[in-house]
Amino acid sequence: MQRWKNFPHIPKHIHISPRLFLAAGLVALFVAIPLVYIFFRAFTGGTEVWMRLLQTRIWKLLANTILLTIAVTSGAALVGVSMAFLTERTNLPGRQLFRWMLALPLAIPAYIGGIVHLTLLRPRGGVIPQLLENWFGQPVPTPSPLGFWGAAFILTLFTYPYVYLLSAAAFRSLNASLEEASRTFGRNSWHTLWEVTLPALRPGLMAGALLVALDILAEYGTVALLRYETFSSAIFVQLSGRYDRSAASVLSGILITIAIIILWGELRLQGQARYTQLDSQWRPSVPLPLNRWKIPALLLVLLVASASLLVPVFVLGYWSITALLDPETLSSIMRSGSQNFGNYVWNSLWSSALAAFAAVVLSLPVALLSVRYPSKLSKAISRFSQIGYAIPGVVVALSLVLLVNQFLPFLYATPLIVVMAYVLRHMPQAIRASESALNQLSPSMEEASRTLGRTSLQTIFQVILPLILPGLMAGAALVFLTSLKELPATLLLRPAGFDTLAVRVWIWAEEGFYTQAAPAALLLVLASAWPLYFLLRREKIFK
Amino acid sequence: MQVIRKLFILLIAVLVLSACGAPSVTEPASPVGTEAPVVTEEAAVTEVPAAVVEGDLVIYSGRSEQLIQPVLDAFQAKYPNVKILLKSGQNSALANALIEEQSNPQSDVFITTEIFTVQSMYQQGIFQSYRPAAADVLPAEFIGPENSWVGITRRARVIMYNTELVSAEEAPKSIFELTDPKWKGQIAAAGSTNGGMQAQIAAMSQLLGEVDTQEWLVGLMANEVTFFGGHTDVRKAVGAGEFKIGLVNHYYYYLELAEGSPVGIVFPDQGEGEIGLITNATAAGIVKGAKNTPAAQAFIDFLLSTEGQKLFAELNYEYPLVPGVALHPEVQALDGYRLAEVNVAEAALNIDETLNLIETIGLP
Amino acid sequence: MNALELHHVSKKFPSANTPAVNDISLTLRTGEILALVGPSGCGKTTTLRLVAGLERPDSGSLHIKGQLVADDRHFTPPEKRGVGMVFQDHALFPHLTVFENVKFGLKGQPSAKARETAASMLKLVGLENFGERYPHQLSGGERQRVALARALAPHPVLVLMDEPFSSLDADLRHEVREQVRGILKAMSATAVFVTHDQEEALFMGDRLAVFKNGHLEQVGLPEEIFHDSATRFVAEFMGDSDFLPGIVQNDGIQTELGLIPQKLNVPANTSVEIALRADDVDFDQSNHPNALVLARFFRGAYYQYRLRLASGKLIHAFKPHTKTISPGTSVHAFISAGHKVTVFQDGVAVEDGNAASRPNSTRS
Repeated sequence: MQRWKNFPHIPKHIHISPRLFLAAGLVALFVAIPLVYIFFRAFTGGTEVWMRLLQTRIWKLLANTILLTIAVTSGAALVGVSMAFLTERTNLPGRQLFRWMLALPLAIPAYIGGIVHLTLLRPRGGVIPQLLENWFGQPVPTPSPLGFWGAAFILTLFTYPYVYLLSAAAFRSLNASLEEASRTFGRNSWHTLWEVTLPALRPGLMAGALLVALDILAEYGTVALLRYETFSSAIFVQLSGRYDRSAASVLSGILITIAIIILWGELRLQGQARYTQLDSQWRPSVPLPLNRWKIPALLLVLLVASASLLVPVFVLGYWSITALLDPETLSSIMRSGSQNFGNYVWNSLWSSALAAFAAVVLSLPVALLSVRYPSKLSKAISRFSQIGYAIPGVVVALSLVLLVNQFLPFLYATPLIVVMAYVLRHMPQAIRASESALNQLSPSMEEASRTLGRTSLQTIFQVILPLILPGLMAGAALVFLTSLKELPATLLLRPAGFDTLAVRVWIWAEEGFYTQAAPAALLLVLASAWPLYFLLRREKIFK
Repeated sequence: MQVIRKLFILLIAVLVLSACGAPSVTEPASPVGTEAPVVTEEAAVTEVPAAVVEGDLVIYSGRSEQLIQPVLDAFQAKYPNVKILLKSGQNSALANALIEEQSNPQSDVFITTEIFTVQSMYQQGIFQSYRPAAADVLPAEFIGPENSWVGITRRARVIMYNTELVSAEEAPKSIFELTDPKWKGQIAAAGSTNGGMQAQIAAMSQLLGEVDTQEWLVGLMANEVTFFGGHTDVRKAVGAGEFKIGLVNHYYYYLELAEGSPVGIVFPDQGEGEIGLITNATAAGIVKGAKNTPAAQAFIDFLLSTEGQKLFAELNYEYPLVPGVALHPEVQALDGYRLAEVNVAEAALNIDETLNLIETIGLP
Repeated sequence: MNALELHHVSKKFPSANTPAVNDISLTLRTGEILALVGPSGCGKTTTLRLVAGLERPDSGSLHIKGQLVADDRHFTPPEKRGVGMVFQDHALFPHLTVFENVKFGLKGQPSAKARETAASMLKLVGLENFGERYPHQLSGGERQRVALARALAPHPVLVLMDEPFSSLDADLRHEVREQVRGILKAMSATAVFVTHDQEEALFMGDRLAVFKNGHLEQVGLPEEIFHDSATRFVAEFMGDSDFLPGIVQNDGIQTELGLIPQKLNVPANTSVEIALRADDVDFDQSNHPNALVLARFFRGAYYQYRLRLASGKLIHAFKPHTKTISPGTSVHAFISAGHKVTVFQDGVAVEDGNAASRPNSTRS
């Protein structure tokens, strides 16, 4: 996904600015406090809570969570890689269109996709089972979207684009000469695929798969909707159900530990995933002719694109129209308390935009320190500031509720606490984007500015910032997109009268009012599609 | 001035009506309330002119938004200077927020779908005392200790069934029949995160003891009951024939019936030796440290006014608690039924045990 | 006053085992161009960066125009040193036009004056019509000249150039370096120039400083460096010399190619090496062959022959085109230097028997 360009190692120690160091340290501290606090709460939670949870819940939750994570990650890897293969390496008709259709499901929060599929597939009541029953005159058994398989199916549908994008980029950057070399050694194209192409894909694939895995660990809406209990949803229930926070803290501590293990693995692999750069010698590989497989391949891609994009958007559109045409439904959509639809839209937009801005600003000192003054310490600060990846929204919310209410009560019950949660949770995306942008900027730019009479601070504003702005915008777009979709932390932290689109969708959908939920859901999808479009345009497969 | 005069007339009308319509109430004043150390204001004093009540009114509501919004709108129409900020969620989630915010209160009014949560909040010292005028006519069990909360409407836990799939004779007459294998896979209910369901479990724990309640719940699970997030899903599923039977609050049956679905209702457990119909009430209290107490009081008054009670009765098919407010014509009155008797204070104290029970058996 | 003085400057990077710059002392007179030359990794670029203030020395001191800019306690940041720098990759700001790039360093001057200076600098480098373009719209040579104009515009005390021509094609490089030298001389600029190309160093530098492994091998005029190398390394790096072993005798040096009648300040029987360039060696086809022609290379104006001596040692010789000798021919090689050859003992030049010192060069 990132195009990294590493400059030959030039020692870059002008003089580590203590101010920069301090700023980066403060950012790391800001991120660290909630984490440390949760761990503290988890391990001082009292043996009684631990015993109760160990005896009853933990093992089942652990099994549930790990099973779902493994199932979705493998499913997403399978779907993502095969779709990438079909659009990048074969002569599939309509590839350019399918690329977009296969990437855009990232704009659809999984819980919204879940709502649509639940309505379509629910046994005996869903649209499809009913159609089948009318058709055959008797109930036809259909797979249920509820429970483990349903959750795995739906989450796969809405997370495979991570793998798709990374492996499509990897397929694309494979130099034709690599495959040609294999062919000259007597391998046919099928063997070449297995022995050369797919292994070269591994780093990108692993990076994508790990993104999916972290996403699943943090997922709340979908699993709650589909009645499959994981750590995240159990924490949510504990958090909202009990007057004692110890159990939630204990579960959070375990969940963070699992996530950190996954993150650690991801960081170890990340180094290898970088080198997907096109050099000047690059030539695209010749697409494999599909021949008689053309129709089945086309149907397969169409099936995936339909299930993950076309059907949800169509259904949401249909419901939205229904809702807008019915005055009673319309009026119930338009208002909650004294707030109206415009308020939700505005709340969603400004909180996500502020979070994007804040995350990018906070990411700068960390990225500058780690890219320009590489050392064990600066790398550690950068890694640590990215820990938010591993902390699910529910846990971020829990720690903020506990911390802010105790130490910053004036911030509590303001929308700013919601923004703070977004920043904490999505900071890694901003840091990675900023680091990648800085990595592509030759250090000599800054040095030239210094020798031309600018101080380090002036250099940041007059040279570095203007030059890395596109990269920062990409980071901001990513944070904006994910904040817009964020559900559990918003649900738990929102002050009264501060409902976002995601919250409205959830409140209506949880009660079973899908038609009411549809306009907000559709708007949320459209609002997410816009930054996503901007991000995808930066990817070479969409150029 | 016009508005104020109208309001005044309305107020008098309410008082007269409620006085006439509540002959059976033997204890007009709450015996608990008199011991309260806090000042109990008289309704007439607090009924300030609508135009004077103003500012943000923060309501934490555990009620389904569809069911409360019309009432909020009516209140809004009456008090145009009040801006209602609503935070909807599960009773327990909002209760948690209230506890969290105890030193830094953010809300004015808390509305729940059952009494145990408000009682529990009273025990945590969350509420301030307020005795609305209508409290004099409310049944005593629906006034919280120290006037901390008041009941608003009553609801019964009933069995609804799809009349195309189940005949009236066949339909289960007791909630304990729901564990009968003949209904295996045919029953829908709300899940353990639903306040109504939690309250039912809490009530049963008190009535039957934990062992029997657990047995019943395990029986439901063994019978492959499908648990939904809320009752709307349940009623729609039964109405559509996805499930033969649903366990719901009574008004969900009427809401489904109003949509033209073939559904029937059973008020269960009326037989000799059976536990009786489990009922509960929506309730509301004013939060201690509320930033807009006048608006909160006006709001509680409105909920208990004839207008407010009528809205609940007519739009939502709920049982008004204020005597004299007519039921929705289609709603079956509770008069003839034997109701299960639950000690609210005790049930509220045992809420954690209820949650432990849910957790232990892994109720979805 | 010297434009630049370095006293015992050392710098070691944390990641490296050996110092990048080890105890360097240098002076540079105003108006002079000093070329720092050496193989990659020899410390020449680090020295330049230390002068620029882009690195901080571990020990030693730096003075620019007599002012202390760095020592153990003081460190003047680059923006306060008044130096101009031309970078290897030119480092033109892609978000600014050519004109804005040149004007970038003129901050603090009145706007009109800055514009005038920038315009005159662009004119000096022959790019007066390119001001509105962006760097990516320029050719490599044009970019090079913009970088120079930008560095020169603030009239720096010192111009620092880090391999400025390495990104250019060979023909362009020759053209541009001539232009650049002309511009620097026209402005009477004092400059430090880093290159790994000995030919470029000889062309550009008024004086040369040859680096090896972080320390200075020799500083001197181009002629001295070329003809009077202080060390075997300098002779090898700067002059493509071959080395022939010899033994010092009373009347000269005995080598495989006969006795060289050159007296040295060392005792007899000392083992030495003499540096031989291709133009110091000649051969004929006389009766006493002592070498075999291995290969012949066409070098334009002359042929270069590779000879293998009986001992297996390889040496090279130039010959005009007048006669062509095929590889495989046995020949008689001899020294035809016409000047004194440079002799090294243990890698260091040995002084002549009658010479006292070399006035213009230092040895490390």
